[in-house]
Amino acid sequence: MQFDLGITRNGLKDVKNRMAQGTVTSLSPRELLRHYSDMVDGLVRKAFQKAQSSVPSPSICLMAVGGYGRTEVAPYSDVDLLLLHSPADQSDLSPLVEKILYPLWDLGLEVGCSSRSIAECVKMAQSDLQIKTSLIDARYLDGEYEFFRNLYDLFSKRVLHRKVRKFAESLAQDLYLRRRKYEDPAYVLEPNIKEGEGGLRDFQIGRWAVRAKYKTDRWDSILFPDHSRILDKSLQFLWAVRNQLHLLSGRRQDDLTFEWQEKIAPILGFSPGARGIEEMMRQYHLSAQKISNFAWDILERVLYEPSSLKRTFLFFQKKKIDPNFGLTRGELTLLDPMTFKREPAQLMTLFQHCQVSHGKMDFRTEEAVMEALPFIDDRFRRKDEVNQIFLKILRRGEGATAILKKMHELGFLSCYIPEFSEIEGKVHYDLYHVHPIDIHSILAVEELEKLRRGVYQRDYPLLTSLIQELEKPEILLLTALLHDIGKGTEGDHSIIGAEIVRQIGSRMGLPKEDRDLIGFLVSHHLFMLETAFRRDLNDEQTVFNFANTVKNLTQLRMLYLLTFADVRAVGPEAWTSWKDSLLTELFLKTAHLLETGENTQVSQKENETVKRLTEYLHLKGIPEYTEHLPVRYLSCYGWGEMVHHIEMALSLEQESLLVRWTLESGRLAKVTLCTKDSYGLFSKIAGSMFLNRLNILEAQIHTWGNGVALDTFYVEDATEEVERRLHHFKRDVEEILNGKITVKDLFPKRGESKPNQQKIIPGVVAEVKVNNRDSDFYTIIEITGEDRLGLLYEITQALTDHGCNISFSRISTLGNRIVDVFYVQDEWGEKLEAKQKVDNLKQTLLSRLTPPNNIS
Amino acid sequence: MKKIEAIIKPFKLDEAKNALTKIGVQGMTVTEVKGFGRQRGHTEVYRGAEYKIDFLPKVKIELITPDDIVPQVIETLERAAKTGKIGDGKIFILPVEEVIRIRTGERGKDAI
Repeated sequence: MQFDLGITRNGLKDVKNRMAQGTVTSLSPRELLRHYSDMVDGLVRKAFQKAQSSVPSPSICLMAVGGYGRTEVAPYSDVDLLLLHSPADQSDLSPLVEKILYPLWDLGLEVGCSSRSIAECVKMAQSDLQIKTSLIDARYLDGEYEFFRNLYDLFSKRVLHRKVRKFAESLAQDLYLRRRKYEDPAYVLEPNIKEGEGGLRDFQIGRWAVRAKYKTDRWDSILFPDHSRILDKSLQFLWAVRNQLHLLSGRRQDDLTFEWQEKIAPILGFSPGARGIEEMMRQYHLSAQKISNFAWDILERVLYEPSSLKRTFLFFQKKKIDPNFGLTRGELTLLDPMTFKREPAQLMTLFQHCQVSHGKMDFRTEEAVMEALPFIDDRFRRKDEVNQIFLKILRRGEGATAILKKMHELGFLSCYIPEFSEIEGKVHYDLYHVHPIDIHSILAVEELEKLRRGVYQRDYPLLTSLIQELEKPEILLLTALLHDIGKGTEGDHSIIGAEIVRQIGSRMGLPKEDRDLIGFLVSHHLFMLETAFRRDLNDEQTVFNFANTVKNLTQLRMLYLLTFADVRAVGPEAWTSWKDSLLTELFLKTAHLLETGENTQVSQKENETVKRLTEYLHLKGIPEYTEHLPVRYLSCYGWGEMVHHIEMALSLEQESLLVRWTLESGRLAKVTLCTKDSYGLFSKIAGSMFLNRLNILEAQIHTWGNGVALDTFYVEDATEEVERRLHHFKRDVEEILNGKITVKDLFPKRGESKPNQQKIIPGVVAEVKVNNRDSDFYTIIEITGEDRLGLLYEITQALTDHGCNISFSRISTLGNRIVDVFYVQDEWGEKLEAKQKVDNLKQTLLSRLTPPNNIS
Repeated sequence: MKKIEAIIKPFKLDEAKNALTKIGVQGMTVTEVKGFGRQRGHTEVYRGAEYKIDFLPKVKIELITPDDIVPQVIETLERAAKTGKIGDGKIFILPVEEVIRIRTGERGKDAI
């Protein structure tokens, strides 16, 4: 038969829920833990007393250990008990233990109980870390108080305050192992509030170390007040979350998964929806970071703080680096605690010393930094000396990330760059972004540092060589640190961020060119990704547009490096060789275009043209139409002409072919032709002109991105009947394009074209150059030779016969010499690269350049 | 039921996805893949060093559909993924024996 403890399972649940409501209104999370622990105390004592009275039992002591010993019991935490008996007593305790446990189990409490003698406890605590730490928090509950006191004395003397350094080492080991276990990004998104990085266990580790080393339970007594206040707030927050987690799930749930994040955020008073979740997780990460730093700091102190004898010895070993700082065994020490107050700029110098000497600062110096933070004001931020040192730290590269992490940890970074505090701990509520934005930004810097150190030489040789080409790597590192700075504010974070970094840049006193560069990089930090993944990289226009925005090789290199760092810092799975290939391809094609290719830059004058054109298109309601216009096209015509062309192109919906001309004289006309591009189009036009005895002096053939062919010609008719011939030409070309007739069909009707009587003039050497080097997209064919009527038709027909699709062409005639350039692709949209194809084409073209009836 | 696997150009993914959704395709699996077919990789030169791109990045879409809409799905995919140039990709159609929705245990068409 079991005892009645005066409460039922459901009754206990009700009590828990009432308490939970209390937390929101009046109780602090810590008070809730305490209340709950007190209630459990009552139940446990009752069970213990009833058990003792029902079975014969020796003198014994009941203790609470572990978290229960600390009176920190979350609603579904384990309740750990220890029964202490005298060593002489050999009687079987299991009937008693059963009598205690069963009624508690029936209430749904997770109770565990062990029974040991004092000597056993001490012995086990010496070898088992978990038993040792659970005893640190032991608390007397009931029974023989003497036993408890004896254990406590012995434990303190023989275990707790002995071999403190070794104890700290095993705690550090525990910390390290858990960190390894929870370093998977999944745990960043859905942290384990107890075991995870910066979780409650981390805090206990710090506390235990304080207890062992300084013999006090007041962990806050060894920190300066601001620090301990912040830490306490962090701890309370974690408890608040954990209490809710337990109550809502009704079990010992310590994984703060998305499901629970969503439910808890509104309860804890965060805004509704995804924003509230992000806010809550931001506070979570900030709190966890504080706790994690605390644990490491304390362990470091315990592990490295020398004894007083040693300290005297080290004092003489101290090396002065400058009047303010000394270096002892790799640790930087502030010599005069007043230094920072007198001269805040020394704060930055301290960080530089850390980097140069590969040292860390000792904890007193760290505390001094934190105490000096209020002295960082705008004067400090604008001080040339400070900013120059900061840039030097970045420029040096080696260890720059470690320094930034330290600055961040001590709160210095967000005092120096206050804008940075807006993104601290901020999370994206999605599965892709693993780290809070501040951490992500620092990780991005780290990726660049690794690249500079050559860590990725094997995997990413191109990026490695690119970062070494940079003249001002510090600008790139600074950009990486600030690239997401706009995420603290609503709106397009790239645009907002660019504005913010410009302000930061001018505060730091960066020259205008660097501010512009950083502004550009931040505003475009997603541009390369978007282009590489969403646009056709085999389309020259894509690369042209990209190159046009990026403008020069320096910006291109930096953008590529920034993209790499940004993606890699998102999480280990974000960067794949798949993404790498696309980005590399875009980089190489753009670099090629910018370096060796023709003029991709729209000049000042052309820029003006494009601006007016854009305005016009805006009025027409088709602002995006410029997208279709190739740079080669834009650089060939004036604004008025382009407007005219676009109007023609727009009316292609009604008519399939438009031919317009203006007469320059009786024998010379300028012809503009617009139609949908089709295979062999140019040769059909050239053929029709030839049939009508129109000699082509100059021509430009453009294919727009939307498949419109826009061609302009200067044609000449020796017989001064150019207008009549053009009417004929228009009719012919219409029929040919409609497929009613072919150029060849018309030849016999009009008779063989005989060349005009040729004067004896110096001959022109025929030459055909096939260039696959200068463009990533087209084979460029350059042809020179002696002009004759119909030659262009023959050349274009030959190109068509060999499967060449002409995308752009410029035809000019200098005296009797033609200079023609064709940009062609094969039927698959690829360049002509097979040697045999190229040779065959060359041969055909050469034979066409030599007229069949050339007898001279 | 058929399984349809399509290998397409990466930048065509959005278009293909939207077009498929429009005709009522409920779900699909998308993977970033690399490989080569008739369109071989290529070598790019930057500052005298050669960078080889031998496996080309593509996107693989996988989806299961009832037999009756297979032609429609294929036509949609073809239209959406086509640029007319080399490397547009391929579509494979495979028979599917059974589909089971794990949560409910539904089988066959209902489980798609």
